Amino acid sequence: MGEYGLAPGQRVAIIWDSSSPVEALKDLVDRVQALVGADNHISVENVNQLPLSAHRKSSFDVILSGMVPGSAAQHSVELLAEVARILKPGGRVLLKEPVAESGNNTKIKTASKLLTTLTLSGLVEVKELKKEVLTPEEAKSVGEHLGYQGNDLLIIQIEGRKPNFEVGSSSQLKLSFAKKPAPSAKPRVDPAAAKLWTLSANDMNDEEMDLLDSDELLDSEDLKKPDPSSLRAPSCNEKGKKKACKNCTCGLAEELEKEKKGSQHKSACGNCYLGDAFRCASCPYLGMPAFKPGEKILLPENQLHDA
Amino acid sequence: MAEKGLLVLFGSQTGTAQDTAERVGREAQRRHLRCRVQALDSCDLANLIHEPLVVFVCATTGQGDPPDNMKMFWRFLFRKSLPASSLCQLDYAVLGLGDSSYPKFNFIAKKLHKRLLQLGGNPLLPVALGDDQHDLGPDAVVDPWLVALWEKILALYPLPPGLEIISPDVRLPPKYTLHYLPEDSPEPQSALLQPAAPRGAPCELQPFPARVVSNQRLTAQAHFQDVRLIEFDIAGSGITFSAGDVVMIQPQNCPEDVQQFCQLLRLEPHRRFVLEPTEPGTPLPPLLPQPCTIQYLVTHYLDISCVPRRSFFELLASFSTNELEREKLQEFSSAQGQEELYSYCNRPRRTTLEVLWDFPHSTCAIPADYLLDLIPRIRPRAFSIASSLLAHPERMQILVAVVRYKTRLSKPRRGLCSTWLASLNPEQGDVRVPLWVKKGGMKFPADPATPVIMIGPGTGVAPFRAAIQERVALGRRGNCLFFGCRHQSKDFYCQTEWEELVTKGFLTLFTAFSRDQEEKVYVQHRIREKGKLVWELLSSENAHIYLAG
Repeated sequence: MGEYGLAPGQRVAIIWDSSSPVEALKDLVDRVQALVGADNHISVENVNQLPLSAHRKSSFDVILSGMVPGSAAQHSVELLAEVARILKPGGRVLLKEPVAESGNNTKIKTASKLLTTLTLSGLVEVKELKKEVLTPEEAKSVGEHLGYQGNDLLIIQIEGRKPNFEVGSSSQLKLSFAKKPAPSAKPRVDPAAAKLWTLSANDMNDEEMDLLDSDELLDSEDLKKPDPSSLRAPSCNEKGKKKACKNCTCGLAEELEKEKKGSQHKSACGNCYLGDAFRCASCPYLGMPAFKPGEKILLPENQLHDA
Repeated sequence: MAEKGLLVLFGSQTGTAQDTAERVGREAQRRHLRCRVQALDSCDLANLIHEPLVVFVCATTGQGDPPDNMKMFWRFLFRKSLPASSLCQLDYAVLGLGDSSYPKFNFIAKKLHKRLLQLGGNPLLPVALGDDQHDLGPDAVVDPWLVALWEKILALYPLPPGLEIISPDVRLPPKYTLHYLPEDSPEPQSALLQPAAPRGAPCELQPFPARVVSNQRLTAQAHFQDVRLIEFDIAGSGITFSAGDVVMIQPQNCPEDVQQFCQLLRLEPHRRFVLEPTEPGTPLPPLLPQPCTIQYLVTHYLDISCVPRRSFFELLASFSTNELEREKLQEFSSAQGQEELYSYCNRPRRTTLEVLWDFPHSTCAIPADYLLDLIPRIRPRAFSIASSLLAHPERMQILVAVVRYKTRLSKPRRGLCSTWLASLNPEQGDVRVPLWVKKGGMKFPADPATPVIMIGPGTGVAPFRAAIQERVALGRRGNCLFFGCRHQSKDFYCQTEWEELVTKGFLTLFTAFSRDQEEKVYVQHRIREKGKLVWELLSSENAHIYLAG
């Protein structure tokens, strides 16, 4: 494993902000490129652009953020949540951020606050790798960038991981249930219970009856809505399904075989008179009822134009 | 097999759950299982503890509410007094029908499943949740669930030795047999829709035939939408209602459609017949006089303008003598053909009558016995009552927007009930509409000092017109209405009556005419503009807000 723990073939994203010197950023990108292989694409994102880029979820193996030497990038919960989203399960994030121990500055986090921020955004195995002391020039430039005057700035390097399961995944708990009795071995109805039930059922004037709150029966599973993708039929689209009729003589069947897209205004297929259930998708008579034998049908002007 | 067999109980609002329950019933018949299919509120609740095997098919409607025909059962089920082991004899399965775009998706089925478990029942399967939002509708869940259900049931109650499952190719007997009376038998004495002496408040099984007093178009002739104000005379009906209540109207098919149907099926409209159940104990169909004419059956009972369901195609296929048609009908009734069916039928809203026209050879082979198995009963339609008895005693008014829209079919789609109501002309004689009243969801405050804020664009304003009439009659002045429509000059119905109330200080009226200016202005824009006033009413005066439309 190379620097930053990168291996060839991995998908990497590098996040930078305006404080990162351009040369140093370019240098970092080159080094990472060398590690993951020349034909492997690296995404380079500005910290403000990242949410707008809307990368596909779970697409990166490693994300480096604020790793450009001299960077003063800061990480918010929202940014880290986005990082967590686009990381693959088990993927790693490596970041650097300036921290100060005094803890009374709202702009700069303490080390422990930063660690908490990572945890709150959904990352696990969050650990501090090292703390770096800044040179006086570095400290000055970072301090200016962040508007901080104290002299206890440190750069902290932290690693976090995305948990090894996807959001929304589930696994079944193994519970043991007693075996259900066979129908013949059903418990007999308690005569007292039966009497109560029958009495109750015969008294349908229930103005004064005490009722349970049915909402209490529902748990969080019940309140969930079905996943929209589960509601789609395999190939249900309105326009696409072109179908040739049984004895197609209008050429649509051949067309479909060649998978060409054509449109036909004239129909020579023998089934137009039969009704929509039998007509092919390009029939100009679609929408009209079946014809009586011998009936002359005049198509209104507008219908001839759509196929 | 236990004496009792399988009991299928359903709670259905629009008929889908009932249709599915009947499908379960037919599949049970094919497996030689004794089966009864009943609405939950019609079943014998006292005996439920002795039932060994029950399948529940329940829709969820409204805001997570049970359908009307299981409301009594629902209240019974949740009584604290029911002992926890009551249903220990029961093996059950619950199938729910709902729509996941609603937050309380299938709440009835979910709660039912858990409550039955709580009461000691044994579930054969996890609760199945049919979803209108699926591309293939509830069938995407129902089809595999039925396979699993029969597996479980046949494991518990195997087929009697020597019997096989009746193949789907074999047609089941019809629910009723139809016996034509000889042509020269005496005419019935009374006309079929005469007002009889009312026994109790009018209801679905005994609607009140209300006379139409007036039928007035409210929107300008040039406006695209035809909206009517229709007034009924309900004197002597025993009907009372308050603002927010709903009237159920039983519509009928138009004469042209009735004629076309009779021609297609080669039925003679004037012939009279009686029905006999094939299974003793099956009740006769409600609201059908015996003897009855074909004309009456097709006009008032058979819903030939509804979009046919899968079971329709399955049954029609079994009559077909034409190979091409039969193949297509069988395709439409197969699980694999559901997408095609959806594209042919549901999406363009093709009516039963139009389908019959497209399959002429199969249609003329339909035996009259099977008409009631093939085509469901016309369902009543609900309208918010738009008037108050305090302002118009013995009268009831409704606002009806005539439904008319285009799909890819060349003939435009029409609402059955709205088109029929719009066609009624009281000046042509005594015109009657069968109706009854249902309690509505909206309740207006009892405290006279509480103001109400009502937001009702378009015909949504109907219950608010009733509320305003009622409150004005009671002297209550705290009435604020936000009304929206497209054009002040074209569809601002009730303009005159409301402007009068504004002048008299009974109504604060804010209007939004969406298309009278370049940018769209809707009620929500007005509400935001008047935010301060709305907030005042809410915070200092405890105003109630109502929204309809």
